[in-house]
Amino acid sequence: MRLFLAILLCKLSRALLRLLGRGGTALPGSLALRLCPDVVARLARRLEVVMVTGTNGKTTTCRMIERMLLDAKLDCMANRSGSNLERGIAADLCANASLTGRPRKRRAVIECDEAAFKRVCGEINPKVVVVTNIFRDQLDRYGEVTHTLGSIRIGLERAQRATVCLNADDSLVASLAPDAPDRVRFYGMNTPLGDGGGLSDAPRCIVCGAEYEYGFHTYAHLGGFRCPKCGYSRTEPDVAVVGVDALNADSSAAEFRVDGEIYPTAVSLPAVYNLYNAAAALAAARAMGVAPETAVKSLAHIERGFGRMENFELGRARITMILVKNPAGCDRAIEYLASQSFDAAAFCLNDGTADGTDVSWIWDANFERLFSGESPAPKTLIVSGTRAEDMRLRLKYAGADEGSVRVIRGERELADALAAAGGKVCVLPTYTAMLPLRAELASRVGRKEFWK
Amino acid sequence: MELKICHLYPDVLNLYGDRGNVLAMKKRLEWRGIGCTVDEIPIGERLPLSKFDLIFIGGGQDFEQGLLLDDLRSGKGEDIRSAVEDGLTFLTVCGGYQLMGRYYETHTGEKLPFLGALDLYTVGGEERLIGNFAFETEYGPVVGFENHSGRTYLGEGVKPLGRVIRGRGNNGKDGTEGARYKNVFGTYSHGPVLPKNPEFCDTILLTALRRRYPSAELEPLADLSEREAHDSVLKSLTGE
Repeated sequence: MRLFLAILLCKLSRALLRLLGRGGTALPGSLALRLCPDVVARLARRLEVVMVTGTNGKTTTCRMIERMLLDAKLDCMANRSGSNLERGIAADLCANASLTGRPRKRRAVIECDEAAFKRVCGEINPKVVVVTNIFRDQLDRYGEVTHTLGSIRIGLERAQRATVCLNADDSLVASLAPDAPDRVRFYGMNTPLGDGGGLSDAPRCIVCGAEYEYGFHTYAHLGGFRCPKCGYSRTEPDVAVVGVDALNADSSAAEFRVDGEIYPTAVSLPAVYNLYNAAAALAAARAMGVAPETAVKSLAHIERGFGRMENFELGRARITMILVKNPAGCDRAIEYLASQSFDAAAFCLNDGTADGTDVSWIWDANFERLFSGESPAPKTLIVSGTRAEDMRLRLKYAGADEGSVRVIRGERELADALAAAGGKVCVLPTYTAMLPLRAELASRVGRKEFWK
Repeated sequence: MELKICHLYPDVLNLYGDRGNVLAMKKRLEWRGIGCTVDEIPIGERLPLSKFDLIFIGGGQDFEQGLLLDDLRSGKGEDIRSAVEDGLTFLTVCGGYQLMGRYYETHTGEKLPFLGALDLYTVGGEERLIGNFAFETEYGPVVGFENHSGRTYLGEGVKPLGRVIRGRGNNGKDGTEGARYKNVFGTYSHGPVLPKNPEFCDTILLTALRRRYPSAELEPLADLSEREAHDSVLKSLTGE
């Protein structure tokens, strides 16, 4: 009865919010959890679930897994609306259920916040778990990287049947491997890529504290690590990127090795970090029973997630929006920006709770790279957001002429400025800065909101 | 003129953008035509203190603290204590600031001996003191971001760096923030603290420069972006 009421109330409140033109899931999910605290466990019981957690790449990896399952004619739902805390997950599970709790789709791809994973993973008891990577992220909210690692470890201990797909190149993530080798699948990059630069969040061995040695780097602390003291080292991955043929502005071509077979693959998303996401998704799809030859084909038509390399054609401007949340992700966006010579770039820095109230992380990201002469720096530089002044100061110390950096408030004014800039325009917003700007751009190009 | 900066333990004490402090010092010297070198000294490497004019120590993760204490016990600690007495300039932030004190008492009562270069000590608390904050100093109001569970208490002979305007500061109780002793500047302020507080940055630079070049002066800079970033944080805190 509680379950029935929880689902009913969740559906009603969600429908009501949509009538009001809002896509929120937090309130409906909270209501459902209030009425029936184990609503997630009870609805997930009848589902085969893939859970994806980690600092960066969760949303894109979920989109890839979803595509692979659908292309293999395996129906599935996903918490696409962006809320990856327990309440958002509860709301999406309710939406997928009939009033008696029977699921419409039998599988689910669930993105889960790293801190929430500790609890939610036990509730869901997933079939497959993917951990993408662990980077320093919003220290005011998540604490130190070892804290995030501990939270994910506790969650995994509560998923005794799950196949766990881990990033072989991330010394933090790889240390999560359970003592059940048949349940672990590693994925990684067998080729040194990216610039190997950036601040390492894990220079020292998680087991014994000695400094790692690296056979090769991909980026930040990812790569072929090995501890000279205790021997903790990278495991050869089951799913690996073994060659990269092209890294274009809008796509990539790479060779993946899945269980010993090589698959030349087109990926419809740019940038090295999406090859990591692709490898993670292949490992997960494989664990869900999708044949690798089918799964690699799906990578050619991955939609761009909400604000993740999303494109908008506005007037004479072609705008690419890249959500940034932390130094590691921001460095990847800067790397992309510097490699493609953009005409204009806007940086929108907010300090809301969902962004992290501490904006000091921008000093750990390598904005200097924009002015290093690798490609011409964007002619137009714009800063925006509640901490626009901090962002401008960062650009000044990175090498920008402070007089040429424009401060623009408000998403309408910003959208106008981006359109007026023309040419190739890149926008890097933090989460709460992304939402209104994306809504503004989407309405101008006539794109639907995510919940429609 | 040339200033030689040492960034101590950048391999483990590198949280919250504190390397922005080193960048700010370097740029502000370069913009005035003063040379600047930055040497990074990681754990396990010898620290030739006499080579440097300014030592910067940032904050880090608890996980790495044990490693660091072992390294300090291997001789660096003694060197740092005598360099402090000798008048070498230090900027220490958060974990690095605590480290200069006598000890850290965890909230379970365990006492970890620290450097003992400054007469201050820190006690771990349950609640983290987190948020934008501001404090008044002789270099004007300084703004930054604090994020610490330790509560620091100053002993005799150590002056606070400033008085809290908004936020918690050293311990959330006595209204003090940071510490000043000889040429050591200690603070809980991340942000990072120096880019947004150019007067504070220049005071530290001048202190270090004058030890080598007694008549050194720093010509003023325009500081447009610096002031706007500073004022916007101060305004959001005080509403003025």
